[in-house]
Amino acid sequence: MLLPGIIFFSCTKNPDVELIPAHKPTPYEITIPFGFPTKLNIPEDNPMTIEGIELGRYLFYDGRISGHADPAKHMSCATCHLQENAFECGIDHPVYINGKTHGVTGIPTPHFMLPLFNQVFNHSGYLWNGFVEVSNSDPMLRNLEALTYMGIIAPHEMNSDTLSAVNAIRAVPGYSELFKKAFGTEEVTIDRMSKAISQFIRTFISANSRFDKYMRGEVQLSPAELSGYVLFVTEEGADCFHCHGGAGNPLFTTHLYYNNGKDSIFNDPRDRFGVTGDPMKRGAYKAPSLRNIEFTAPYMHDGRFRTLDEVIDFYSSGLINSPYIDPLMHHINNDGVQLTPTEKANLKAFLLALSDHDFISNPAFSRPENLP
Amino acid sequence: MKNSILIIIIVPLVILFGWANDGMKLKYLLFIIITASFFSCNDDPDPGPPAPPTGKIVFEFQHLFHNNSVQFDTIRYLNAAGNLMMFTEIQWFISDVTLHYSNGDNYTIKEWKDIHYIDTDIPSTLAWNVFDNIPAGIVDSVTFTFGINEQKNQSFLFVNPPESLMFWPDILGGGYHYLKLNGKWIDNLQRVSPFNFHLGIGQIYDNQGNITGFIQNYFSINPAGPSFNIEQGKTTELIIIMDVDSWFDTPETWDLDYWGGDIMQNQAAMAAACINGKDSFRLSLNID
Ligand code: HEC
Ligand code: HEC
Repeated sequence: MLLPGIIFFSCTKNPDVELIPAHKPTPYEITIPFGFPTKLNIPEDNPMTIEGIELGRYLFYDGRISGHADPAKHMSCATCHLQENAFECGIDHPVYINGKTHGVTGIPTPHFMLPLFNQVFNHSGYLWNGFVEVSNSDPMLRNLEALTYMGIIAPHEMNSDTLSAVNAIRAVPGYSELFKKAFGTEEVTIDRMSKAISQFIRTFISANSRFDKYMRGEVQLSPAELSGYVLFVTEEGADCFHCHGGAGNPLFTTHLYYNNGKDSIFNDPRDRFGVTGDPMKRGAYKAPSLRNIEFTAPYMHDGRFRTLDEVIDFYSSGLINSPYIDPLMHHINNDGVQLTPTEKANLKAFLLALSDHDFISNPAFSRPENLP
Repeated sequence: MKNSILIIIIVPLVILFGWANDGMKLKYLLFIIITASFFSCNDDPDPGPPAPPTGKIVFEFQHLFHNNSVQFDTIRYLNAAGNLMMFTEIQWFISDVTLHYSNGDNYTIKEWKDIHYIDTDIPSTLAWNVFDNIPAGIVDSVTFTFGINEQKNQSFLFVNPPESLMFWPDILGGGYHYLKLNGKWIDNLQRVSPFNFHLGIGQIYDNQGNITGFIQNYFSINPAGPSFNIEQGKTTELIIIMDVDSWFDTPETWDLDYWGGDIMQNQAAMAAACINGKDSFRLSLNID
């Protein structure tokens, strides 16, 4: 009884307060939406903080991060990743014609875009082929943090180098205070830039589509949407759920790689086979989330389909067989799932019920009014 | 009791000021508070009888075809119906694992998690280090549920992958696939055809094709195997073998050409598969 008492008093009298750093970042809590995974991909060395996220938001939108002196060559993540298209560039982009992105020097990106949302729930790979994943032999290329570094140096993106990027951000007076608030000191490093941007991206949670509201019992889906949902999750229907999720996997992606029957010849060095060397994975790519699919045309890694109707026609009767097709495409010998026009319309209605308008207009993810 | 309240207040303060200037350690504080209160509430613990001796169990999972490990992704397996097959992956749930002791006692694995997921694409799932302390003694037999029983097999039981990826659509009965055995076979038109040998809750359909009821297809297994001894402080390694050939060959012949490549909405096919599943498991003891 006595001993703890002494410690108690000595502690309260101990004026240790100044040892607490002046800029202690405030932890940021992720609220898990209904039915979503509870295991989050937040690396131990990059905990989410309000200040880190704020810094990340500026950096995500700041073209000076590309390190080019010429403002015409400025490029940021948001040059391509636009919120109104669930962070893809969109099919009607004025510069990236038909949604085909290219870097500052005009070199096209090898693939079309992927959206950015619900990445905090992704423990599997990043990019269409999962090149950035836990099993990558290079520890720098194992998580979301890698994408900032890669974007800066990639010839088909910013075509820069990390030193120029760091120097360019260091030269902006306003940033030092933001780095201090986020990381304790004013030091600008590529590591800190990547961490902050990743923290920002990890806040992108999309969980408020009509379908989510239906799952939470807040709205009723229309008969067409409901029929489309049944088609989506039944083997005798359109059978999309084994690869694209559903109520039990509301991310609407498994984050796994499949050959979904688009081709018979495979010569893209950047398919899943290019990463793993597993010959069964020729022509296999990540099955992207179908959330917000309305906003992310054109479709597939090579942008071959301009509309959801084209995609649905493809799954209905346009499949191409090959030795590499995934067995989950079990309607392959009928060329597809053979939907009637009404079924196609219903399936599309369901896909459109996955649009999260709150996500694409959430001010927290938008371009900040002023950059530092 | 007063004493314990004081400790509850003091311990965290000591730690807060003396050790953790780092807010991230708050989690640990909570843990320590709980631990501290626990111990302080047991000021004079009754020593009671000594804890009974316990050991540990590790289950390994093997998937065999005609007694050899399944080689995935190659068309080479012939079943009794004459289907030439290839397997791409096997994913399934085991649950309610119960040890039946020679003295008549039973012990059902329950702590930490009572349902284990096995995925041939995820090597770490092929060994299950059971968290429980297993009572020592001679075990005559082991029983388990293939899949997940009716009471537990509820949607949203698993929200995290990989288990969540096994979800079985609510409209078809909900819960989770018991099994996904995927592959391809050469069908009777000589085409390479994919099959999804998927088991879960079955449906009853009326003449119009409306679902009027559901059928639980999980079943209990009493696999053949040796008796073994759980020894105090030792780990017993058990191997649960799935004889993949047996799903197709015994006791009935299950013909892919007859049932087709997808069966989630075909209760007759799933029922026939489950009859064959009952003798598709064996237990063996790993004594390296
Ligand atoms: C020139 C346009 C462009 C720029 C600039 C760009 N990206 Fe991307 N981003 C893409 C494309 C295209 C893909 C898909 C690439 C692939 O997988 O082959 C992609 C993919 C990604 C992915 C993977 C998403 C997933 O689901 O796997 C992340 C994360 C990402 N980008 C983050 C960033 C960040 C952070 C920045 C800024 C540092 C950035 N991008 C800058 C075009 C761009
Ligand atoms: C075997 C797994 C599998 C099944 C089943 C499947 N898909 Fe896909 N889906 C994929 C893969 C893999 C991709 C990406 C392929 C690529 O880019 O080359 C994809 C891409 C898509 C895209 C484009 C996504 C984007 O962002 O570009 C849409 C839309 C889509 N699928 C809808 C569906 C619908 C609707 C169904 C059911 C009729 C379905 N899928 C069934 C695996 C599957």
